[in-house]
Amino acid sequence: MSMLTTHDRVLADLGATWRPQRQWIEGRGLWLIVGHFLSGVGAGAWLFGAWLDDGPTLLAAIVVVALAGVCHLAFLGRPKRFWRMVRVGSSWIARGFVGMSLMLPAAVLYFLFPTGAAGVLFLALSVAGAALLVVYKGNVYAASKGVPFWNSPVLPILYATYAIRGGLALVLLVMPVAGGGFERHGLALIELWVAVSAAVMLGFYLAVMRQTNLAARRSVTELVRGRVAAPFYLGTLGVGLVVPIAIGVAGLAGPLSQGALALVAALSLVGDFFAKYAIAKAGMYVPIMPAGRA
Amino acid sequence: MRYGMVIDLKRCVGCYGCQLSCKAEHGTQPGVFFARVVKREFGTFPNTRLTFLPLLCFHCGDAPCVDVCPTGASHYREGGVVDIDADLCVGCRACMQACPYGARSYNDEQRAYYPGQGLTPYEAARYSEQNVGVVMKCDFCIDRVRAGLEPACVANCAARARTFGDLDDPKSEVSHLIRLRGGEQLQPEQGTNPSVYYLPPA
Repeated sequence: MSMLTTHDRVLADLGATWRPQRQWIEGRGLWLIVGHFLSGVGAGAWLFGAWLDDGPTLLAAIVVVALAGVCHLAFLGRPKRFWRMVRVGSSWIARGFVGMSLMLPAAVLYFLFPTGAAGVLFLALSVAGAALLVVYKGNVYAASKGVPFWNSPVLPILYATYAIRGGLALVLLVMPVAGGGFERHGLALIELWVAVSAAVMLGFYLAVMRQTNLAARRSVTELVRGRVAAPFYLGTLGVGLVVPIAIGVAGLAGPLSQGALALVAALSLVGDFFAKYAIAKAGMYVPIMPAGRA
Repeated sequence: MRYGMVIDLKRCVGCYGCQLSCKAEHGTQPGVFFARVVKREFGTFPNTRLTFLPLLCFHCGDAPCVDVCPTGASHYREGGVVDIDADLCVGCRACMQACPYGARSYNDEQRAYYPGQGLTPYEAARYSEQNVGVVMKCDFCIDRVRAGLEPACVANCAARARTFGDLDDPKSEVSHLIRLRGGEQLQPEQGTNPSVYYLPPA
């Protein structure tokens, strides 16, 4: 029965004018979205952890990026061949793999041996790998010529912004547990600033894509009033942007408690995930033929 | 040498012979199509028009699927044929997202055409574990071409709507047809320079 369902769905999709992309969102495809989400959060957290020199954040970043790697492997059709993904000449997936391969060992070594010339080298390598991880996934989507909604130079910037925000959210989440000594109000301001930036960037991205071509416009329609509207409004906008920004604005009047900051961080992470989920799910392939009766 | 195909939409009758012969030639599983025909009906009765568009991999000269492949599994072969090395493919499906023509299929598991009854002897002979978890697509029947034969979809086209040949040779039949009938690539604005040309239906 499941074979017929899959087969029939493939046939229906191939005959349809508007074909939704399913490979990177349904079934094992969801692992890729989780992997993209975690890799951004982990890489962003590593950059913040290195800046703040905060051990617990660095450790959390290593764990999260390692989990991201596992999620990527769970998505692949042939995970045992993962080591072949090194053709960095033109593939952003390969560049992301190199970034992760660079960051993880260097990060572990820096965590264990943070001092001396070796420590500086490990830190530099891990930061370079993390920076590659922050920028790679947006470019992976942007290189997808078959899905016009993603095929935009704005998307890498949006995803990098979300990665920075996710990293900061992880810092804020780890802080109450680890009792970090850095200034809370300053971090809350950065979080608010990045959240507003992400909101502006998201609005700009959707406005641009609405004007790009029919397939991209169709994806925007799916996002704002179609099959992806619920996760977009609830997850990406409501939980991910409106509530954290509202709490952040309230925090301008006076310092937020650690609990409030942790709540903002958790909501930001949920929103980060749903941003990637909604954008991936709204992707539609270029129509092969004009609309008619199939 | 650049292999290419010309499909005459005036001759195509939408018989699905290309799709079936391709499946027979390559032994592809349910849900995997190297060649397919999209059918659309336009207008309202009595002024209606039925249009068929046979599709396959366009073996683009500037193939986005080759650019995004992280392992080099998607590559150019002799004659500009874009092919997939199943032994190198990791099943990331980036090529499927990059292809503007939907020419690639992902084979996620071994499926039979008669569910619950196991594989038929034909399926058992043709299916390969090597092809599970990887992306598959048309290779212009390169093994047949090397043997001096036409691709299966060309050889089995009942309406002789398909012509295969060398696009770089100005004297070849494909070049002649493109010049004479105004052959056009599908969605040239994608900038992929497909090797498949369509002759207008009227």
